[in-house]
Amino acid sequence: MAKKEKKKDLNRRAFIDRGFRFSIGLGLTGLGVGLYKRSRAKEYVWQLDPAKCIQCGRCATSCIMTPSAVKCFHVYDMCGYCDLCGGYFRPEAKNLTTAAENQLCPTAAIERKFIEEPFFEYHIIEELCIGCAKCVKGCGAFGNGSLQLQVNHRLCVDCNECSIARDCPADAFERVSIDSPYIFAGFSKEENKS
Amino acid sequence: MKQKITIGFLLVILIGVIVVMWQDFYKSKNKSQKNPYEYNIDKLKNIDPELIHYKEVLQLNPDINELISIDIDDNDNIYVTGAGKVITYRTNGTVSQSFEIDSTAYSIDVSNNGNIYLGMLNHIEVYDRTGNLKSRWKTLNENVITTSIATTENSVFVADAGNKIVYHYDLEGNLRNEIGKKDTLKGVPGFIIPSPHFDLLIGNLGRLWVVNPGIHAFENYDFDGNLISSWERTSMQLEGFSGCCNPSNIAILSNGSFVTSEKGLERVKVHSPSGDFKSVVAGPDIFEEGTKGIDLAVDSKDRIYVLDPVKKLVRIFEKK
Repeated sequence: MAKKEKKKDLNRRAFIDRGFRFSIGLGLTGLGVGLYKRSRAKEYVWQLDPAKCIQCGRCATSCIMTPSAVKCFHVYDMCGYCDLCGGYFRPEAKNLTTAAENQLCPTAAIERKFIEEPFFEYHIIEELCIGCAKCVKGCGAFGNGSLQLQVNHRLCVDCNECSIARDCPADAFERVSIDSPYIFAGFSKEENKS
Repeated sequence: MKQKITIGFLLVILIGVIVVMWQDFYKSKNKSQKNPYEYNIDKLKNIDPELIHYKEVLQLNPDINELISIDIDDNDNIYVTGAGKVITYRTNGTVSQSFEIDSTAYSIDVSNNGNIYLGMLNHIEVYDRTGNLKSRWKTLNENVITTSIATTENSVFVADAGNKIVYHYDLEGNLRNEIGKKDTLKGVPGFIIPSPHFDLLIGNLGRLWVVNPGIHAFENYDFDGNLISSWERTSMQLEGFSGCCNPSNIAILSNGSFVTSEKGLERVKVHSPSGDFKSVVAGPDIFEEGTKGIDLAVDSKDRIYVLDPVKKLVRIFEKK
């Protein structure tokens, strides 16, 4: 009887001992996983896939940054250097000049420069771009789609939960490796963007 | 008792706060909220019905995976091609024959001498009407992208979007000359082709018409490569062409008017021989958004054949 009592007593102690060890183990594992995930998180950043983008305007309105960290990027390799650029001119433009009333961009963030007949180069002024995607839609509708939205990683603060990603109706936002933080639809290499 | 009331009151407040936060987080995620920067191009897509002078009378549904090009011979037989196959239809829309080809043909022309010329990616293949391969012409340049082919009694013209030039061959495949190279002294502007849409045809006066899509122009050349005349219409409205590469495809009616198709704003129109807009054949509403490469052909009765590569249809239009 005394032996049985002793055995029961030992089991209780062992149980508490094991429970204590298990709790410490679980805590350490959780801490390890958390630290690992945190270190891994630094290797990934938010980016939007231009192939999924539907130019809804949320990039301009949902970002915590003002103006948005999403900007229009120009993939020059794909550009037709058109005189009548669908990303630059409003459809109602009476003539193809840089007059404000002819421009599609609400902040005049696209600079048009004559190269040689009949080519014009279009350059995005980053400070003025608000990421509204009007030019992206115009370029995609009438041209080759060389104007594309991207999260500018020099401006993005890489929120844990990106507010644009949360609002994006096309689910175009994803986490990408920091080694290749930009996604361009088409055929260009990163060094050709501005 | 008083303590219980306080706890209950606090619980109610807590639940209220949770509900408000939940609604703010999830309900405010209104995915259909209005876009303050909306760029609505629908008004460009809407076409006054009075301007549409054609009606669709028949559709053909060719059994070709990637439907790309169409041509019509002197007897109004219809030839369509694309990935791995050529199909011939009679005028009434029934299949008369089909034959397989090794790869994808990007353009087709059926000549008066009975040969079928296929523009493959970087070379030309010549078949007889029963589908026997007669010859395969060697590639002359690197980066050749053949986008269109047209023939006369003695000549074959091939549009090369890769090198932005038109090749003039004899019927045996010997190169006679190149047409359209930029020459400011002769007034030849050079072809501007930002994407592989570069069409040509032989006009009713037997002259070569080539689209210069980068400047929305039609250029008329003699066979020696001299520029005879040209016209251009740049506009986002119905009267012209916009974007980087329009019109993407052309055909010609018996009165010399041009039938044009566009990408971006998918529409098929008729322009007079001097370029003025005349009427609409088909508006954007009948095409899937993003349809590119709407090839065209015209038969002896001026019926317009519109190849819809996305819906994989040949759509036949007659004047109303």
